[in-house]
Amino acid sequence: MDGGSLISGRAAVLAGLPLMTPARLRRLLAGRTVQAAWADVTEGRGLAGTRPDEEIPEHGLDLGPLPPAAGTSRGRRGAEEERLAELWARAATSTDVAGVMAALTRLGATVDVLGRRGYPPALGGDHQAPAVLFSLGRRPALDSPRVAVVGTRSATHYGEDVACELGAALSSCGVAVVSGLAAGIDGCAHRGALGAAGAPPVGVVGSGLDVPYPGVNAGLWRRVAERGLLLSEAPLGASPSAWRFPARNRVIAALAQVLVVVESHRKGGALHTVEAAAARGVPVMAVPGSVRSPASAGTNALLADGAEPVRDAADVLTALHLQAPAARAVTHRRPAPSGVAAQVLAALDWEPTPLGTVLARTGRSLGEVAVALDDLDQAGWLTRGDGWSQRRAETAP
Amino acid sequence: MIANIPSATLVGVQGRSVGVEVHVSNGLPGFTVVGLPDAACRESRDRVRAALLSSGLPWMLRRVTVNLAPSGERKGGAGLDLPIAVGLLVAASELPASAIEGCAFLGELGLDGSIRPVRGTLALVDAMKSATVVVSPLSAQEAGLPGRHQVRAAPDLAALVDVLKGRRPWPSLPEGANRVDPARGPDLAEVRGQAVGRRALEVAAAGGHHLLLVGPPGSGKTMLARRLPGLLPHLSRSQALEVARIHSAAGLELADGALEVRPPFRAPHHLASVVSLVGGGSSWLRPGEVSLAHRGVLFLDELAELPSTALEALRQPLEEGVIRVSRARATASFPARFLLVAAVNPCPCGEGMSPGACRCSDTARARYARRLSGPLLDRFDMRLPVVRPSAEDMVGAAGGETTAEVAERVAEARSRAVERGVTANAELDRRRLDEEAPLSESATALLERRLRSGSLSARGLVRIRRVSRTVADLAGSGRTVELDHVAAALELRGGLSMLAPTLAA
Repeated sequence: MDGGSLISGRAAVLAGLPLMTPARLRRLLAGRTVQAAWADVTEGRGLAGTRPDEEIPEHGLDLGPLPPAAGTSRGRRGAEEERLAELWARAATSTDVAGVMAALTRLGATVDVLGRRGYPPALGGDHQAPAVLFSLGRRPALDSPRVAVVGTRSATHYGEDVACELGAALSSCGVAVVSGLAAGIDGCAHRGALGAAGAPPVGVVGSGLDVPYPGVNAGLWRRVAERGLLLSEAPLGASPSAWRFPARNRVIAALAQVLVVVESHRKGGALHTVEAAAARGVPVMAVPGSVRSPASAGTNALLADGAEPVRDAADVLTALHLQAPAARAVTHRRPAPSGVAAQVLAALDWEPTPLGTVLARTGRSLGEVAVALDDLDQAGWLTRGDGWSQRRAETAP
Repeated sequence: MIANIPSATLVGVQGRSVGVEVHVSNGLPGFTVVGLPDAACRESRDRVRAALLSSGLPWMLRRVTVNLAPSGERKGGAGLDLPIAVGLLVAASELPASAIEGCAFLGELGLDGSIRPVRGTLALVDAMKSATVVVSPLSAQEAGLPGRHQVRAAPDLAALVDVLKGRRPWPSLPEGANRVDPARGPDLAEVRGQAVGRRALEVAAAGGHHLLLVGPPGSGKTMLARRLPGLLPHLSRSQALEVARIHSAAGLELADGALEVRPPFRAPHHLASVVSLVGGGSSWLRPGEVSLAHRGVLFLDELAELPSTALEALRQPLEEGVIRVSRARATASFPARFLLVAAVNPCPCGEGMSPGACRCSDTARARYARRLSGPLLDRFDMRLPVVRPSAEDMVGAAGGETTAEVAERVAEARSRAVERGVTANAELDRRRLDEEAPLSESATALLERRLRSGSLSARGLVRIRRVSRTVADLAGSGRTVELDHVAAALELRGGLSMLAPTLAA
């Protein structure tokens, strides 16, 4: 194994040590070579001789039997570090570095160490950049302007539609869509971006590059890796533990030039990413939603706090100081419905309307309303769910 | 001397005719009961002895053998006390055989000689072939329900012997308490809004379609379900007798006087044991809720909270209309043909019906959805999302129809099903559907479109056709099933995107 891949292999193994966290890894590798860090670890010295990293406080990351030392006495911290050092020494010496490297090569993934050549400059300047980065896909994806599009995992049809449209529009204007490949908004944004076949998307994930999560987005994961770029701070085989996601959100914020939140509940993971973006001076934008929809409670609150509203991709491009393309003419004009269908359409709100309400408002029988709803659905006038229907805008595809 | 007294014993919910043979002879004094008696039967000896002595009748120190024929089948219960006592008296020539000619006896004996009622009297009496049955006065009403026998009652053994010896006439039967019209069930007109829910009840009642209500807590699922039995037509006499037999065998009190013709409504709590739900038990095979709901409605609230063994056990009655319960000692087959109504939350937090409102984690939601298996969900012909009524529904003009108005339409529709030779449309199979429910062109086109898009499966298709037939019947339509009937049926068998994302309609 040549020198370069030996370094990469060791860096990968270091990243995969038990109870290794982004903070501890940064501390280990700060200001020295991978060789030196490796020597310290295998010889049982662990973190001795390194300073705690001020940029990523350990506090708040719950990782198992060794509780994080948060401002306790020096003595207790010392004891924990000793146990860590022991653990790491054992793990590092028993791991087959060549094997790890081979697995990475088989997958086609690369390992980059902060400070060494090859580490993406887009991320390298960040004050909390990952010490070791795993990537799969095309590096040039990071060269385009980058917009992060994030949101809740439990999204509404409206949110999913908007995320998809935004992803598509941004991609066709040459902007790389950065997101987390989670269920809901993230996945839709990427789906839209892939569909437009413009600038390829960038996905930042919390698990190892070979552990697609969630299962429903496994296909999407693959497509993003093929056409765009997939990044992770976690080593191969790492499972999607809960603590990895806030960590990954900071990487999304670090890569973004603008952050767009499409839908968020009052409390949600997307708001994490907003904090991380605000701390980096990245402009935060939000898509407004119905004041009655719980999925828009978070985003509407962001708007009240001063986030710029996003009505369409043009708003985002303006924030990027890019020229918005001329608005496309609406291609299909649907014939307006008549008769029962018109009555039924008039009875629908722009929010999900239960079937019973439609019956009450139109006074028609269940059969007539059912036929009308089906016709309107076919013609694209509405979206439907379990027992409810909702109007769609004219320009919706 | 041998005496042979007709009686009966209970096997499950059926009575079985039993002949009590009593043989008295010389020899070492003894009293044996043979013919596979259970513990209660074997204890008859002591009760009969005390009863006879208390009544001033002789207890002979002879060799007595009692055989419960047919001897190869298990006999249970204390109801054979009375026939044994009578048999003893006849065999010992205390009573002439002519006195009991054509009579069957059924009753438990108290130590003071009193004749007591027996659980399952209706089923037992129904199995008796004799012209006259003699029971406890408290069972007399129930014994009269089959209507085929002359019912006689005596308060105790001494009085009975007096009557049989001709010293006095039969005491008159107790008057039935004035039949108070039992409280009518809740009325449909009390439900505000819920236009779709009310329609669903009508269709479910008219066609015998199992109904699943999916919605958040407080949306009115239970309120709707409780109004379903009132829409069902009254039971026929033979059906009412069947139901009364089952209830009697379970030890439930029957209504005084005439037979109850309203279909039963059973709503077991989700914490009830599996045995109480399907039947069984170790000492006597007791009919469960599924059998007590026979010919009526079984309402299972919080379906997902039922243990999976209970849910699995429901499949046999839903498929076959009977439930077979077997124990080491005996097997019984109980009837269990009911209309199933179930209510369930869409996800653990309950808010999954409103888009974007669900706060459950993915794993919690998946775990919840796994509890309700595909085959079970598939059993429901109708699956309805129920939403909380909106403000405009609650305050709006009450225009809802009453139970009586809807029940009339239901009865009409049901009679059309009977003309087709089934009790209800839910029983129509594919072949009969082709004959009785041909589809119009536009209806066929709609169904084809749904099949192609994958939102309807082949099994779902059969169920939709059954429900559309019912919708058409309610509309008074002709033989062809039209587009709006099919569209309505599709609305009433909605997708279950929360509960079963991979399950097509």
